[in-house]
Amino acid sequence: MSGTAPLPAIMIAGLDKFYGGFHALKHIDLEVRRGEKIVVCGPSGSGKSTLIRCINRLEPHDSGRIVVNGIDVNDASSNIQDVRREVGMVFQSFNLFPHLTILENCMLAPRLALGMKKAEAERLAQRFLDRVHIGEQAAKFPAQLSGGQQQRVAIARALCMEPRIMLFDEPTSSLDPEMIKEVLEVMEELADDGMTMICVTHEMGFARRVASRCVFMDQGEIVEIAEAAAFFEAPRSDRLRAFLSQILH
Amino acid sequence: MPFDPSLAWDSLPRMLFGLANTVGITALTLVLGLAMAIPVTLARMSPRRIFRLPAAWFVMFFRGTPALILMYLVYYGLAQLPSIHDGPLWPIFANAFACAVIGLALNHASYLVEILRGGLEAVPAGLVEASAALGISPRQTYQWVRLPLAMRYALKAYQNEVIGFTKGTAVVGVITVVDLTATANEVFERTYDPVTPMLTAAVLYWCLINLMRIGFEFADRRLNRHLAAEEQRRRKPVAASLQPALARWTGLAAPNTERAL
Repeated sequence: MSGTAPLPAIMIAGLDKFYGGFHALKHIDLEVRRGEKIVVCGPSGSGKSTLIRCINRLEPHDSGRIVVNGIDVNDASSNIQDVRREVGMVFQSFNLFPHLTILENCMLAPRLALGMKKAEAERLAQRFLDRVHIGEQAAKFPAQLSGGQQQRVAIARALCMEPRIMLFDEPTSSLDPEMIKEVLEVMEELADDGMTMICVTHEMGFARRVASRCVFMDQGEIVEIAEAAAFFEAPRSDRLRAFLSQILH
Repeated sequence: MPFDPSLAWDSLPRMLFGLANTVGITALTLVLGLAMAIPVTLARMSPRRIFRLPAAWFVMFFRGTPALILMYLVYYGLAQLPSIHDGPLWPIFANAFACAVIGLALNHASYLVEILRGGLEAVPAGLVEASAALGISPRQTYQWVRLPLAMRYALKAYQNEVIGFTKGTAVVGVITVVDLTATANEVFERTYDPVTPMLTAAVLYWCLINLMRIGFEFADRRLNRHLAAEEQRRRKPVAASLQPALARWTGLAAPNTERAL
């Protein structure tokens, strides 16, 4: 790399996280540049979700530093709110608010956190719902939609806060196979638009097409980081080789 | 059973007056009980023991004490305490109606705390997290996500409790408040007819309870629109799969779609 180094989107240095006596994240270092798409994979319990949940402080970390767009992620509640404004998140279980319509789901955060007027929030919500190809369902309730549709609404809901970074925590893991594609397509469109993304996923096709770099985690450590092609074709560690042989059948 | 229509008709004005007392006690108890239950629930769910423990004791004591005993304790018991008898609140504690409402509200609130807590705890943590991740503050998350959902989860249990205690207000008769049951009892003692006044009272209770039920159903439909929508979606495929069988029984042609096999 050459030239001036711009501020990284996310800088994680020496991150440790414990659950009681269990060492969930062991000294993690990771820097994510603007516009990068990072895919994180690894066996269950390896700390992937915990890692990205530390980035927007859904989990507090125990030591080390996380800096998101220049904001230190720490105990200060104003910092937490600032970071969450920069970072959108999509969950495995969608987590749409069941008592609100699709449109209201998308309007809630702009209305409450940004103090946006109702009409303006409505326009914004409709724009992002259209963008994830679900604008015509705006008046329905979450329970009336399929899983894939709900997850696309969840993406639109996060985008309504116009975050600069998006975190995806296994966004397709609770979907029926025929619905995975529609969600991945929306994520790929988002990637094409230049969004900085960290995706915890086992969709290896998606990783190959989209990822700038892939991160392999095991037992709370980052074992290997590589560009997608090298990651899949020439894994350096035995643990990654074993993992890939298990999931790529 | 000898039911005397003319006695029922003649006693109706008094019975309606008793009913009005019952309704008044119920309404005041609802409001006062809710006002007490909300802070106690918040304390009960606090991570700090100095709040949590007293709230737990409150529930344990007032839920464990029969409403009848509470009536005696509040009306006759507290009057024995010089600090109450000579204190500034004596006008309240000297009034049977006020004591009835206070005693019932303490009892009602203790049940309500557990209903509210159950509702709040039933809200999936993921929804609260999703709200937090969107940058919505904890207070706003409570107000716009947790509380509205908790209300919906708790509505049926709340309805049961409200209807239960409405009928339970009959205990106020023991401290001289003349509610519907006490009125019926007066008529019985005057006429030695046990059937007519009691049946009349029962019918009036029944009307009151069903009026309340209609109110709750209205609230339920409004609050749980999102569930009604889901119900519809779930019901449809079942209806569709029943159609061929129905058609066979009735001898009418089944829709073509099922003929493929």
